[in-house]
Amino acid sequence: MEISLASAGSYPRIGDQPKQQRLRKAYGRLERGEIAAEGIEKIQQSVIKAALREQQEAGLDLLTDGQIRWHDPVSHLAGKLEGVKINGLLRFFDTNIYFRQPVITAKLRWRAPWVQDEFDFAKKVSKKPVKPVLTGPYTLARLSIVQTDAYPHLRDLVMDFAELMSREVEGLARAGATMIQIDEPAILRHPNDFGILRESITALANKKGNSHLALYTYFGDAAPFYDRLQGLPVDVLGIDFTYSSQLADRVSRDGSDKRLGLGIIDGRNTRVETKDEVFNFLNKILPRLKGDVCYVNPSCGLEYLPRDKAYRKLANMVKLKKLFEERAARR
Amino acid sequence: MSRKKLKTLGLDLPIFPTTSVGSFPKPDYLLKARARAAKGTLANSKLEVLEKKATEFWMGIQEELGLDVLVDGEQYRGDMVAHFAGLMKGFKLGGLVRSYGNRYYHKPVITGKVKWPRPMTVRWWKFAHSFTSKPVKGMLTGPYTIMDWSFNEYYPSRKAACLALAKEIRKEVEALIDAGAKIIQVDEPALSVRPEELPFAIEAMQIVTRDLPAYFITHICYGAFEFIYPKMLELPVENFDLETSNSGLDLLNLFEQQPFTKDFSFGVVDVHTHLIESPELVQDRIKKALNLLPKEAIWVDPDCGLKTRTVDEAIEKLKTLVAGTRAVRQELGVA
Repeated sequence: MEISLASAGSYPRIGDQPKQQRLRKAYGRLERGEIAAEGIEKIQQSVIKAALREQQEAGLDLLTDGQIRWHDPVSHLAGKLEGVKINGLLRFFDTNIYFRQPVITAKLRWRAPWVQDEFDFAKKVSKKPVKPVLTGPYTLARLSIVQTDAYPHLRDLVMDFAELMSREVEGLARAGATMIQIDEPAILRHPNDFGILRESITALANKKGNSHLALYTYFGDAAPFYDRLQGLPVDVLGIDFTYSSQLADRVSRDGSDKRLGLGIIDGRNTRVETKDEVFNFLNKILPRLKGDVCYVNPSCGLEYLPRDKAYRKLANMVKLKKLFEERAARR
Repeated sequence: MSRKKLKTLGLDLPIFPTTSVGSFPKPDYLLKARARAAKGTLANSKLEVLEKKATEFWMGIQEELGLDVLVDGEQYRGDMVAHFAGLMKGFKLGGLVRSYGNRYYHKPVITGKVKWPRPMTVRWWKFAHSFTSKPVKGMLTGPYTIMDWSFNEYYPSRKAACLALAKEIRKEVEALIDAGAKIIQVDEPALSVRPEELPFAIEAMQIVTRDLPAYFITHICYGAFEFIYPKMLELPVENFDLETSNSGLDLLNLFEQQPFTKDFSFGVVDVHTHLIESPELVQDRIKKALNLLPKEAIWVDPDCGLKTRTVDEAIEKLKTLVAGTRAVRQELGVA
């Protein structure tokens, strides 16, 4: 089986060295009114290029643009729709990163593509395939405040987000995305809503064209819901192995009919994974997987780590994968 | 109810003791001085003079407004975890991580065995106490939150790191008690985010507080109480200080379903809005809590630390809190 090394989402946008702080300084100048918004654009582009370059240099096969332009995983998407007002800050799951909460004030309407231009840019400048990442309709709806009669039930809001997002999926597929990643961390905390999740993901899957649709969950233990995740109409299932040891047992027991995105590199801690940890895991899981390829990736986006640590984690993942394959070849 | 424990400790507090969660905003001169100190253009000793000046200012304000249990206002702290990580052994300052928008902070890293170095907060507690005859709370960040808000490169698990920290934080509690502190608040704002870890967070709090002669308060915020209630009542403290008003008093609905069995520091003003609540609103909120809890169990304070507000807003919020509380006392004839 081929092991493809992938990014799972965000990448740190600044680093500790002064030359890695241009974006932070530029935003500071923007906040103080010293430069116009256009002044940020060039710097953002150079940071996106650097994020792609670092992932490539680390040795990844499938990259993301690092979500450098995103204020946060929620408002960046929801804020592009009509019917949404952006509110104050709220903690993003159990992280120390805060998102601006969307307030739904009227029926959602499409205004313009969400991340189409971001994908086009990244694809143009990247030497490796780029995977666009979208926070999924269920998570967007769950993290929103509803202040309109247009959505009496959560399901209605999820499905409207899904309907609008399916256009985006269609556009990204047409623009050449071979894989499109949908993030749904919220479902792990509300497993009773799997029916709604299924319906919304089906709406996206209907528009995916030739691309592969990947569903990623993280920030929780997916073990109790593994069979339900397997039942979703997606091509790739990304799961976070850092929250419990039970998930590895579960996957080892039940195998997988889908391609998996194995989140074994802890995207939330700076400790670098050891060879034994990674090898034991791969030996346990890989024989149980069907198909020709699986993905190994960080457990979540990497912006929870300092930049140098994020890079070191990726480089270590690449090194261990090579070593693992060399050993397997010798056997 | 823990009135008995207060009495044993020699504390005679009015009904509905008014207090603060911990932090107050830093005056402009202190913010500027901190920026200069960070750049290395101001000596730490000069910075401390200003931190003391600001602490004295806030002690005066609290006395003047008539709060019952005072705090030092944390004028010397940046972040509630980094402050302790900076003082304890076993930590290194980590690289920059984003917290929101364009804000970044140095997240601490546990790289070795954590160790209590010497009293970390006692000096400030004594300094604050020298301005008042009222009780001043000892203020600590709890082991679970220090663990959760740090990277861990040393301990084999989150639990191991948390319990190791608990043993060291206990030493600070003991030092505060030796200095004379009778009310000690152990902040655990991170507690509600991973319900599955609540059992070892409770174990850690047992390590911190077991058999010690003090009235313990814990402050928890960021909502999500529905996932940890009522199990969280097993935390071995006398008083829970909970963010309540920010979420439209949803918390009180939880208390209706499962009785709340401890003392309750009721957050009656929202710290995330510029709007100053009216004393009538505070009054109304306290009365809602009175439907669910005996009056002896209720303390009154803001939702969270006031450091995100301006100095004037913070003072106005405290003023309204005291006025609303006094009105309820009068109404009940317990003034």
